[in-house]
Amino acid sequence: MNSTDMRKGQKAVVRSFSKGQGMERRLSEMGIRPGTEIELLEKHPFKGPLLFRVGQSRIVLGRNIASNLEVEIPD
Amino acid sequence: MKLILVGNPNVGKSSVINTLTGSHFFASNYPGTSTEIEKAILKINGTEFEFYDTLGVYSIYSDREEGRVTRSLLEEDRHDLIINIVDASNLERNLVLTYELLERGYSILVLLNQVDRARDLGIQINVAELTQILQSPVIAFSATNNEGVSEFRQFLEQLIIKPHAAEDKISQQKGQQRLILTEDFSCSGNCGNCSISKATCSLDLDRKLAEKARKTAQMVSSVSSPASHNLLNRVQNFIDRPYIGTIVLLLLAYLGLVVLTKFISFSEGPISSLLEPLSNLLHNWILSVMPPGFFAVVLAKAIPEGLVIPFTIIMPAMLMVSLLMALLEDSGLLPRYSVAMERFGRLFGVSGQAVIPLSLGFGCRTPAVMATRILPNDAQRFIVITLLSIVIPCAATVGVIVMISAKFQASLAVIVLTMLIVMMILGMLLSRLSPREEAFIYELPPLRIPMAKNVWSKIKLRFAGFFTEVLPLLLLMSIAIRALIESHLLEIFNGMEHFTRMLFGIPAEAFVAVLITIFQRYLAPLVLLNLDLTAREATIALSMIALSLPCLPVMVVTVRELGFKSLIKILLMGFTTSAVVGVVLNLILPV
Repeated sequence: MNSTDMRKGQKAVVRSFSKGQGMERRLSEMGIRPGTEIELLEKHPFKGPLLFRVGQSRIVLGRNIASNLEVEIPD
Repeated sequence: MKLILVGNPNVGKSSVINTLTGSHFFASNYPGTSTEIEKAILKINGTEFEFYDTLGVYSIYSDREEGRVTRSLLEEDRHDLIINIVDASNLERNLVLTYELLERGYSILVLLNQVDRARDLGIQINVAELTQILQSPVIAFSATNNEGVSEFRQFLEQLIIKPHAAEDKISQQKGQQRLILTEDFSCSGNCGNCSISKATCSLDLDRKLAEKARKTAQMVSSVSSPASHNLLNRVQNFIDRPYIGTIVLLLLAYLGLVVLTKFISFSEGPISSLLEPLSNLLHNWILSVMPPGFFAVVLAKAIPEGLVIPFTIIMPAMLMVSLLMALLEDSGLLPRYSVAMERFGRLFGVSGQAVIPLSLGFGCRTPAVMATRILPNDAQRFIVITLLSIVIPCAATVGVIVMISAKFQASLAVIVLTMLIVMMILGMLLSRLSPREEAFIYELPPLRIPMAKNVWSKIKLRFAGFFTEVLPLLLLMSIAIRALIESHLLEIFNGMEHFTRMLFGIPAEAFVAVLITIFQRYLAPLVLLNLDLTAREATIALSMIALSLPCLPVMVVTVRELGFKSLIKILLMGFTTSAVVGVVLNLILPV
C-alpha cells in the first residue's frame, strides 16, 4: 500500500519509493528510507500534504510524493 | 585557525556561533534560515579562530544548492577542523552526516547541541560512549543555556597548543587519506570499478551509513518518559491539526495585521506631536543661518519633512513588523503556514514553501529574495521573486500606505483587495508559463517559546536599516523632491495632466509620485502628501504605487540570484501591472 492509504495514528515501515532517484535521495537524507518506521500524524484534506513522524522529526510530504511512497503495516 | 560548522538544517548552527563568538547572525526556528556562508571571529590567547557558518545539509552529497555550497567550502579551502553540530534530540538522523564526514577522513569535533531539549524529551545521551564509538571528541552543548561553552573553549585552547591533535588521531586510527570531493560526485564510496549504477550504489552506501547511525544512536541513548510532557507539545499537536490548526494560524495572522495597523495609527499622533516643535525649530534655524533665497526655502522645508516622515510613518511599521516576524520565525509557526497554505498556494501557482519568503517580504524584501533559495527550483524562485518585487509590501511601504490612505480617506480595502487579486492573477499566469513541480518535502521544526534575547537582537538587526538606509535616503530624496517642487520644474508634467486623468484618473503630479517609486516605494509620500487629492485619486495612486517596481536593493539581489534577464522581465511586468491597475481602477471605481 502507499503511505496516503495510512490512517491517522497508524505506524508503517517504509518499503520503497517508486518515482525518481533524486526524490528518493532527498527522502533518504531526511531519514525516510526502506526499513524505517513512520507514523502518520495528520492528513490535510483536499489532497493536501501529509505529516509524518520519522524518528524525532516531523516531516511533511506533498500528496504526490506520499502517494509514491510504498509502506507496509507490520502484523 | 579555520573552523567550519556543518550540520543538518535547523540544528542551531547560527545560534551556536552566536553563543560562542558573540556575533549576531540571524538564527530562527526553521530549516533554511541561513542562506549564505558567514564568518565570525573569536580570539583566544591571541589566536584568531575563524568560524564559518554553513547552510544546513542533511548529507554532504546532497545535490541541492545548499549541498553544493557547503561542499565547495569543504573541498576548496584548507581548514583546521570541522565542527559537526548534532541535534541531540534527533541523534540517529544527525549521525548519518557525522559518519559521512568521518568516512571522508575529516577531523571533526561533535557538538551535541540542544541537550537541554533532549533531556526535556526524556533522552539521555552517554557522551563518553559516543566519543569512544566515533573516535572523535564530543561536547554536550546548549546554545540556550550556555552549557558546554567553557568546555568548548578549553578544547580550542588545546588546539592552540597542538593544532593537529584531532587530525593526527583520526588519520592514524583509520589509516585513511582525505578524499577530494568533486562536483560530479554521485557516490559515497570508493566504487570506481563497481558495476552497479552510481545512483543505486550511492543509495546502498547511504543505507549502510544510516544503519551504522541507527546502531550508534541506540547504543548511546536511553529514553525515559519525558521530563515534562509539556504544554508546548500539546499546543504543537493542536496547531498541526489540519482544520482547527489552519483556522488558528489564520486568526493569528489576522491578529498580527490588526496589531500592526493599530500600532501605526496610535503611534503616529504622539510621535508627530513630539517632533513638531523640533521640526519647527529646525525649520526656523535653517532659515536664520542660511542666506535667504531658493536653497534656504528648499532646505528649511525638506530637512524637517525628511526627518518627520520616516520617524512617524516608517519607524513604527518597521519596529512592529520586526517584532512580529521575529516571533513567527523563532516560535516555529512560520513553516506551519507553509503546510496550511500548501493547497492555497496552488491558486497562486506557488508551493507552500513560498509562504516563508513571501511573509519575510513584509519585513524587508531584500533578504526575502535570498530566502527563496529554500524553493525547489529556479522556475518557482522566479515566480516568488516576481510576486515579492511587484506585490508584497515591505514594512516601510505598509506604513506609507496606511498613513497616506488615512490622510486622503482612500479606501484601504480596495487597495488590499487589488493587491490580492493581482497576486492571484500574476501567480496563475506565471505558473502557466513554468508548471509547478509537486515536490513538497519539509521538516517541521518543534514549536518553541521565542527567547527574548534573540527576538531583541533580530529587531535591532532589522531595524538598523532604518538609520543606515531609510533615513539618509529619505532625507536626500526629500531635498531633491522639494527642490523640484519649489523650482516649479514638476509643472512640466502638467502637460501630461490630460493623459494621466483620462487613463488613470489621477493628476499628473500624483503620476510623478508613481514614477518616483522606481527608487523606493516609501519615497512616494514626499510628493503625495504635498498634493491635494480626492479619496478616489489617492486610492488609485496608492494602488499603482503598491503594485509597481522592486526597490533598488531588491533589484541588485535579484540580478545576483537569477540574473539580469530575469530582472528585466520583472521590471517589465511591474510597469505593466502598475499601468493596468491604474486603468482598471479608473474604469471601475465610482467617481
